[in-house]
Amino acid sequence: MIQLFNVTKSYGGEIPAVKDLSLQIPKGDFVYVTGASGAGKTTFLRMLYAAERPSRGQILINRQNVTRIRAPQIPYLRRKIGVVFQDFKLLQSRTVYENVAFALEAQGKKRYEVSKKVYQALKEVGLEHRLQRKPLELSGGEQQRIAIARALVVDPLILLADEPSGNLDQAVTLEIMELFKKANARGTTVLLATHDHSLNQQFPRRVITLDKGRLVADQQPHQG
Amino acid sequence: MVLEKIRYFIRRAVRNMRQWPFLCTAAILTMAVALATVATFFLVVVNVEQLASNWTREIQVVAYLEKAPTQRELPALVKKLKTFPEVDAVSYVSPAAALARFKSRLADDASLLEGVDRDLLPASFELVLKPEFRNQEGIDKVIERLDNTLVVEDLRYGQKWLERFNSFVDMLRFVSLVLGGFLLFAALFIVSNTIKLTLYARRDELEIMALVGATMRFIKIPFLLEGALQGLLGGIVSLGFLAISFQFVIKRSLTSFWLTPTDFDLLFLTPGQQLILVIAGVMLGLLGSLTSLRRFVRV
Repeated sequence: MIQLFNVTKSYGGEIPAVKDLSLQIPKGDFVYVTGASGAGKTTFLRMLYAAERPSRGQILINRQNVTRIRAPQIPYLRRKIGVVFQDFKLLQSRTVYENVAFALEAQGKKRYEVSKKVYQALKEVGLEHRLQRKPLELSGGEQQRIAIARALVVDPLILLADEPSGNLDQAVTLEIMELFKKANARGTTVLLATHDHSLNQQFPRRVITLDKGRLVADQQPHQG
Repeated sequence: MVLEKIRYFIRRAVRNMRQWPFLCTAAILTMAVALATVATFFLVVVNVEQLASNWTREIQVVAYLEKAPTQRELPALVKKLKTFPEVDAVSYVSPAAALARFKSRLADDASLLEGVDRDLLPASFELVLKPEFRNQEGIDKVIERLDNTLVVEDLRYGQKWLERFNSFVDMLRFVSLVLGGFLLFAALFIVSNTIKLTLYARRDELEIMALVGATMRFIKIPFLLEGALQGLLGGIVSLGFLAISFQFVIKRSLTSFWLTPTDFDLLFLTPGQQLILVIAGVMLGLLGSLTSLRRFVRV
């Protein structure tokens, strides 16, 4: 599903953000990407959804070479990838419903199809009763659940989450993790960048550890 | 499907405008003021040109004769002058008629002329030219013909005055063109920056749209529509501004400038020109958002 070959990303400084990274993530995998701040986790994820281009090396997603992708093709790549952020990135002026519907409208889905799918996705995250609320009226955990609903409503092949629980307390984090597990159980490949090691202890999965842009460990659950 | 998309884009454009009423109003007013100013220049030029063509109607060549023709010579001379292709009408002013006219002009001071010889003033022919010859060329031709026909003592025609006025109209047209061009350019710049502000205010939305896989076209069309809609409104508002400036600035200043009350109606934009003004607004808005979008939206 995801293949990286000797990927390096440099922003012009002395130390590249990602250096010589090679790895394979099969379809349906659940992978933690860990490492200290500045280890290159975010850059790694950003290269996957073509927000950054690697300086060297190749990235294949679903056998498509993302490194050589042309700008007009990027939207179609992103429709296969759901992204969840630490700061949720919700539109504060729109309702919960509109925020989730946005992802489908952007893909040009029909109106009746949109409303059906949005309702399902919100039900999935347990927020179907908050349709007409604005994000700021909701708790942080609820906002993150909306963001996850938005990422999952398009049935992505891959779900990328960049410190999704960074702003949330322990109980809410567990709820969020359940959602990721559910998505993964349905076949979505999940990459979760975090520096919270307790997550791996509660939900043991493959762990990729980065340090100063280099891959320093790649542990399967039975090893860790 | 296509219809639904169009509806969706219009909905989004209108919602964007309602979300930022201040910026939207600023963009509309900027375009309205710029368009109205350019149109005002246009109206001034059009009306001055109309005035000019009115005045050239009064252009005539006056030939003062060395010797007044006798009663017997006169009909033949008039007939001859009338055969000139440039000449529309000929009238003969005898020395006595000229004196009478002079007297009436002097009005209260007419007594000055008491006891003066009746033949003091020369006889003259007044030639009114056909409209298409009311220019320097036409006048030159008539003068040439006159010289060949009559013994002329002196010739009077509005040559110098006409030349000066024509060059004034030319300059006015040039200045309006340059100023209007600058103004439109400035308007485009301001509109583009205003739209850039609205884009900046919505950069989160743009980022999220790009993130969830919206194509560039999908992201841009509502903004282009918004610019066009603002331009449409700006064009309509500019018509209102123009009507006001026509009533209170153009009419007054032109009337007082010529000192005499004008004997014709000042021209306003024709319906076709009004439509062009509104379309210009749409183009201005469209171009303004296009230039700012190009710099703003990147994947």
